[in-house]
Amino acid sequence: MRYVLRRLGGALLVLVLAFTAAYVLLTALPGDAVLARYGNPDLGLTADQLAEIRAAYGADRPALLQYLDTVRSFLQGDLGYSVQSGAAVSALLGEALPSTLTLAALGLLVAVVLAVAIAFTATHGSLHGTRATAWLRGALRGLPPLMVSLPVFWIGIMLIQVFSFRMGLVPVLNASPAQALILPVATLAIPIAAPLAQVLIRSIDEVSAQPFVAVARARGASSWWLLWRTVTRNALLPALTMAGLLFGELVGGAVVTEAVFGRMGVGQLTAQAVAARDTPVLMAVVVLSTVVFVLVNLIVDLLYPVLDARLRRTDATGPTRTGPTSSAPTVPAPAEPAERSEVTAR
Amino acid sequence: MSAATRPTRRTALALGLAVPAAVTMAACGGSDSGGSGEAVGEPQQGGTLTYLEPQTWSTLYPPAGGFYPNGGVVNNLTDRLLYQNPETLELEPWIATDLPEVNEDATEYTFTLREDATYSDGTPIDAENVVKNFDLYGKGDADRALTVSEAINNYDRGEVVDATTVRFHFTAPAPGFSQAVSTINSGLLSNATLDRSGEEFGPGNATDIIASGPFVIAEEEIGTRLKLAVREDYAWAPASLDHEGRAHLDEIDIVVAAEDSVRVGTVTSQQAHIARQIEAPDEPQFEADGLALHAASTNGVNNSLSFRFRDPALEDVRTRRALIAAIDRQAIVDTLFTDSYPLATGILATTALGYTDTSENYAHDLEQAASLLDEAGWEAGADGTRSKDGQALTLTFNEALPQPRSREVVTLIQEQLAELGIAVELLPGDQAAQDAARAEPGTVQVYHSMVGRADYDVLKSQLSSDNRNALLNGHPDGSVGDEELDELLAQVASTPGEEGRAEASAAAQAHLAENAYVLPLFEEPQVFGYVETVQGFATESVGRPTFYDTWLTS
Repeated sequence: MRYVLRRLGGALLVLVLAFTAAYVLLTALPGDAVLARYGNPDLGLTADQLAEIRAAYGADRPALLQYLDTVRSFLQGDLGYSVQSGAAVSALLGEALPSTLTLAALGLLVAVVLAVAIAFTATHGSLHGTRATAWLRGALRGLPPLMVSLPVFWIGIMLIQVFSFRMGLVPVLNASPAQALILPVATLAIPIAAPLAQVLIRSIDEVSAQPFVAVARARGASSWWLLWRTVTRNALLPALTMAGLLFGELVGGAVVTEAVFGRMGVGQLTAQAVAARDTPVLMAVVVLSTVVFVLVNLIVDLLYPVLDARLRRTDATGPTRTGPTSSAPTVPAPAEPAERSEVTAR
Repeated sequence: MSAATRPTRRTALALGLAVPAAVTMAACGGSDSGGSGEAVGEPQQGGTLTYLEPQTWSTLYPPAGGFYPNGGVVNNLTDRLLYQNPETLELEPWIATDLPEVNEDATEYTFTLREDATYSDGTPIDAENVVKNFDLYGKGDADRALTVSEAINNYDRGEVVDATTVRFHFTAPAPGFSQAVSTINSGLLSNATLDRSGEEFGPGNATDIIASGPFVIAEEEIGTRLKLAVREDYAWAPASLDHEGRAHLDEIDIVVAAEDSVRVGTVTSQQAHIARQIEAPDEPQFEADGLALHAASTNGVNNSLSFRFRDPALEDVRTRRALIAAIDRQAIVDTLFTDSYPLATGILATTALGYTDTSENYAHDLEQAASLLDEAGWEAGADGTRSKDGQALTLTFNEALPQPRSREVVTLIQEQLAELGIAVELLPGDQAAQDAARAEPGTVQVYHSMVGRADYDVLKSQLSSDNRNALLNGHPDGSVGDEELDELLAQVASTPGEEGRAEASAAAQAHLAENAYVLPLFEEPQVFGYVETVQGFATESVGRPTFYDTWLTS
């Protein structure tokens, strides 16, 4: 319990720091939301008219005062109004969130399936044999680095060009909700699947080199049985750590994917708000993504003991992984008595 | 990616686009760029037109119609007192039954209104309502964050003479007012809509914006889509349009597609009917069968460079003349653009009101440029960059984000000027950063911009220190560098009578050319690409789409 409380405290600190840093950076940039909307020469407003509108928005007050004001209304649950469009930020988010959640959840799901498929096939024992299979093995292992280096917007545009414009399989406009998800989900899944597959392949390789695997194989365990029953369980931990971190990738991917496909969502909202310096919207997005990021990582941390008995300690200090941003996934020594006995029992 | 600016990332397509020639009109008279789809056969009623917009609209408050995505919606949603024929630029009756009676010094305008026109909520367009419209547009309401319309100058008040007669009073001559009431910025709105705040004109409120035009807003998906539906009882279209009564189309689907290649590909693969902002490199794709381009003139100040002559680097007229001689405009147009972008022959477009040809002042001559720079005292230093009194000749250009390929234009100029020892820097940053810098003395020496408006006033809008102040003639401290220029521009906007305004405009243009204040680059069009099932597509006087006469062949 104390561990959870400590983690929550840390999460709160991350939230406050992210909020403040975002606010300071947005304020430091030349120009602001009022200028972005009303200073545009297309409106042809004079300097005096602009000053009047700035005063009406309260944008002429000292930055610190505006910051405290924003903090106060956020604490009261009031996300404010978009300067660019005047719409309530909560309404904008409410409209955008379901679509993005669907996209992100499906993207993550497809990514996991894709990563597991690639990793299992690439590391499968039967591929060690002939020349052809060895080539296939090399190709599959080369796939994740390739996928990780493709820019998301390029993937999106290529998918549209090939599957919609050339082959006419999926319409870009007037698509049914399911059709409208196919290409965006694929676009989002590819760059997320890549690092997952990389980590999985690596840890499967490492676990496979452990003596207990050789023992199990000698006792007649098939390759698939080994993968499922022993190797995967041990290889899952680093992959899970990655999944937590990949949330950031998911957010970044959603911005690009939604912009390319013209889908409304948090990503599109963010892109538009960035262009318009729409501070209220951006602050809400920052808070939202920080909360989700911290939560995802908290859940990942709490899942460790469930997956790995060695992390189930009774003392109150909890697992050793410290913060949501610890980037190097630790690969634990995989040999575990419980599993070995399982093998023996067979 | 951005909303308020055009997407600058160009997408290199590895795949050529194969265009299925599925729908080709048998009798269509060719698909040359520049012509709007010539109607073939009898217009048919019905159908949903899909229109792709690069950016989402930000407000439906008509005075903010200068922003294209806003203007494209407002133009089809609202009627105006007068109609400006986009071809002749003449004003014609619309909601007003005739051109206004104007007093001698253009400080009083009297309009008679037609009696049958109503808003889509059933309320009539009467004198009281029209006055309420212009009292808001002429003065704005800062408390509600509603701005003054740029097109309306010197507005004092409106007066209800009787139920169908209105009179507008001005504090000073306002000869541009007749044209101003024909612009999108003066779209008429119902009383209830006029009571809304700035926020309530924004996304999420579109279906509540009530006007009297041929289409109403039926559905809105924030940030991505707007559905317009025809108004069945519409019966007050301007007489010079192709037909009367309701619009041909049943519905218009306005869809936001920010990515250039997606917009182009969706139309060329026949998944959408029409897209705005086809970039010059994508234009050749529309030469295929079944596709067409429409390059609409914006009839105002050309895409041009304004030399900020109050900056120490550019205060010598010889330096400015040297820049004009050094920049190869033809090379810019040839390299980066197409025939849709004609080389400018003056600060105004050839089709703009008041246009005069000043092209003799913009000859490209490198030798001349070098000797002018020498005369002005700029001496080449060790690194090749010229300097005077220890001050290097370094010029900062803004990036005109709403304008086509501004970054590429500046980069090309950078190469051209480097040969003469002039260093060019591009001001980085998004629209807000550009806007903040453009009004700050000493930040930007050369300002890249354009304005579309089909009235003499456009020259004043762009250059006067009271308006867009492109030359930064007026500094924030209130001082004005060239009083004569401001005076000449004020003449354009305050001389009563067509002839007097044309003369005043010509005088201002001559002053600009003589002093080498500007270098016009090209006439900036709005380029639409569409499939040829779209017939009768037209644009209003500054290139916003008008769908009233548009119809779809089956």
